[in-house]
Amino acid sequence: MLTLMEMAQKGQEIPLFTLVAQNEQMKVQLLMERVANGRIVIPYNSHHKPQKPQGFGLGLSTKVSASIGLDADEDSLTDELFKVDEAIRAGTHAIMDLSTAGNMDEARRAIISRVPLPLGTLPVYQAFAEAVRSKGSALALEPEDFFKVMERQAADGVDFMALHSALHTGLLTTAKEDQRVLNLVSRGGSLLMGWMLYHNKENFLYTMFDRILEIAKKYEVTLSLADGMRPGAGADSLCRSQVEELVVLGKLVKRSRQAGVQIMIKGPGHTPPHQITATVQLQKQVCEGAPYFVFGPVSTDVAPGYDEITAAIGGAMASAAGADILCYVTPAEHIAYPNAQDVYRGVVAARIAAHVGDLAKGYKGAENWDLQMSQARREQNVESQKALALDRERLTDFHSSEKPFCTKCEKGCAMAVAGEFFQELPWEC
Amino acid sequence: MTQLIKARQGIITPEVERLAKVEGFTADELSAKVAAGRVVIIKNKQHKNCIAIAVGEGLRTKVNANIGTSPDCVDFADELHKINVAIAAGADTIMELSIGGNVDDFHHQVINQFTLPVGSVPSYQGGMESIEKYGSVVGMKAEDMFEMIERQAKRGIDFMAIHAALNMSIIDRLKNQGRITDIVSRGGAFITGWMLHNEQDNPLYAQFNRVLEICKKYDVTLSIGDAIRPGCIEDSLDRAQVQGLIVAGELVQRALEAGVQVMVEGPGHVPLDQIPATIQLQKQLCHHVPYYILGNLVTDIAPGHDHITGAIGAATAAMAGADFICYVTPAEHLRLPTAEDVHAGVIATRIATHAADIATGVRGAREWDLAMARARKDLDWEKQIELSIDPPTARRIRGERNEEGAEACSMCGGFCAMKLVGEHLGKTGGSC
Repeated sequence: MLTLMEMAQKGQEIPLFTLVAQNEQMKVQLLMERVANGRIVIPYNSHHKPQKPQGFGLGLSTKVSASIGLDADEDSLTDELFKVDEAIRAGTHAIMDLSTAGNMDEARRAIISRVPLPLGTLPVYQAFAEAVRSKGSALALEPEDFFKVMERQAADGVDFMALHSALHTGLLTTAKEDQRVLNLVSRGGSLLMGWMLYHNKENFLYTMFDRILEIAKKYEVTLSLADGMRPGAGADSLCRSQVEELVVLGKLVKRSRQAGVQIMIKGPGHTPPHQITATVQLQKQVCEGAPYFVFGPVSTDVAPGYDEITAAIGGAMASAAGADILCYVTPAEHIAYPNAQDVYRGVVAARIAAHVGDLAKGYKGAENWDLQMSQARREQNVESQKALALDRERLTDFHSSEKPFCTKCEKGCAMAVAGEFFQELPWEC
Repeated sequence: MTQLIKARQGIITPEVERLAKVEGFTADELSAKVAAGRVVIIKNKQHKNCIAIAVGEGLRTKVNANIGTSPDCVDFADELHKINVAIAAGADTIMELSIGGNVDDFHHQVINQFTLPVGSVPSYQGGMESIEKYGSVVGMKAEDMFEMIERQAKRGIDFMAIHAALNMSIIDRLKNQGRITDIVSRGGAFITGWMLHNEQDNPLYAQFNRVLEICKKYDVTLSIGDAIRPGCIEDSLDRAQVQGLIVAGELVQRALEAGVQVMVEGPGHVPLDQIPATIQLQKQLCHHVPYYILGNLVTDIAPGHDHITGAIGAATAAMAGADFICYVTPAEHLRLPTAEDVHAGVIATRIATHAADIATGVRGAREWDLAMARARKDLDWEKQIELSIDPPTARRIRGERNEEGAEACSMCGGFCAMKLVGEHLGKTGGSC
């Protein structure tokens, strides 16, 4: 069985490629060329085959991913499923189930059967959580346990998996010497580091990367290699540990492609605005054009309660610079676990950012959307404006102007005079 | 004498002295920027209780909030409430844009009650009075326009948007251009209608010296209105807009020669990739005087969320050199903003300007983020809330969803991976 990447390399034009190309107004040959060389990934587990497949990468529209998941044993699956529905209603292109508690298998299976979009996970979360349950400590995890979880998730149909494979022991020293303000904010990265320190062993996701590739290949799982050293503060952005890990990520991209496994790279995180372009360019260069999946980026640290906005600013800039998929950030980031309303707002803000980036990148069709909206405004066509709005629900209190036309200026309306001159409807004054 | 004239004469005014400290410069450095026209000190001499602010090159990017009545919704108490909300959210200035009710009285009240600089668009009140007096906006006399500017200046309005950079040649160019949305500036549309109806050039352009005389007398900061700002990203940087900017630059030169403090208003709808060009063009054509922009709104398709499209644009614009940002609220394109919209608009704009200030190295900006990052490292929630851009909101979200003093996790007993990492890196162990 060939992987998607291998089929693209051999020039086999399967319906999936045709569909994704059509949705993106890209020629299928170009899409396949980019899948073949890894510039585009289509997360599409052979056990899930999402009804609405999505491509991430060069020349495609910028996508948005929303993360949800059980965070405590008492969390209700119904609540999480409602968040999934809200994220889809708000227009997300992918869902990540980051459950770390409760019945994780049940939650994942319920979500997969519900979601017509690519679904991602972070398998070390479940692996460590199960080690705590069955062995009394996350540190008691054995590599074999992890691979069982990974295979179970892959067999369930998970389309892409975040894995901290580039986090190796050399980085422990760099991280220590780096003296970052916030040393480690990646939860998976922290757990792995603790495990590495305790056992005085290398990261099994790094040393046993070939096994990861085997499982990924078997189920067509797209790898989403995560940045364990992602900065947790603007001041830590582009520090040595982050850059050193990126170099290793680049090497793993090469190995993954050689194995015919689709791969993308995850990125920050807290990045001040003037470093966003450099961050994206560095990843693109070092990781040989692998699609970049950024978290925000969060452009300033000082706005807890509004991080959907700090991230929209960063996301738009990152997308314009070449980032391919934006992990949403919700208003609850840094303060609380997001509720359904936060999820909705986070997706909408990220979609705005993605679209703004698409305009800047010159993505086909992006400009036309804005043009149609502007024409609807010119024509004062409220219904069209509502239909074209990115978030229609926000326009419930926006009614068509029912009031009689203004007649205050009995002796000539300035707006009418100007409107007539430009052959437009008169504006309201 | 205006702040500009004093600065040129080497006089360090008390305002410059105080604001230099606030902005992290020496008084001489700030005074030199004022003398060059690159910084304006906004305060009308008649606004006695006004605490001046400085706007311009190298300074913290400032945020303005617009408020004001409409003819069918006159509730001045509500507008006062919005001003208080804007101030609480951290606005640096407000613009009072009422076009309904007794505006004279309201201006009087706002000037007396508030210490932050207040701006206006005199042609709004002028247009209203013209309707009362002559039955139409187009019936207004040129004299009325200047009388209104003088009246507002005398009352203490600190900065005024005046659509002087609009003449017949710009209107012709605009028509030939074939824009999607021709004129979206209300003041610009008033003046355009007036010019076409009366077949006369714009008095504010033709008799610009009279505008300058008034501004000079009261030290009103002149804000040259962007009458033909683009109303959609498709129209951005078209010939008409650039022509308007060239004319604005000529007027800036005359204002500077007359010793009048001046800034230039800018768009409006601008796609992200055109923002740096827009700012650089203004800076170059307008002698590097401060640039006061609306947004920028980087896409047209998100009504209901234009505080976000505005924040993306504002951050990019301020990074490229914009100095003063007029907020955009979630109600933009839909209706007049409520107090809640005003709050959301000010906060979103402050986030954007702060993000840009980090990027451009404005003094104190990075330190704020660093302090927050340290509070996060220390897991000091009180400090994090205190340092956040909107402490009440941060406190509310945290308080609603987190139990007070939740005990540290003990699931892994003595074998905590997070604790091990913490020990290795010398940090407080996080939760897993």
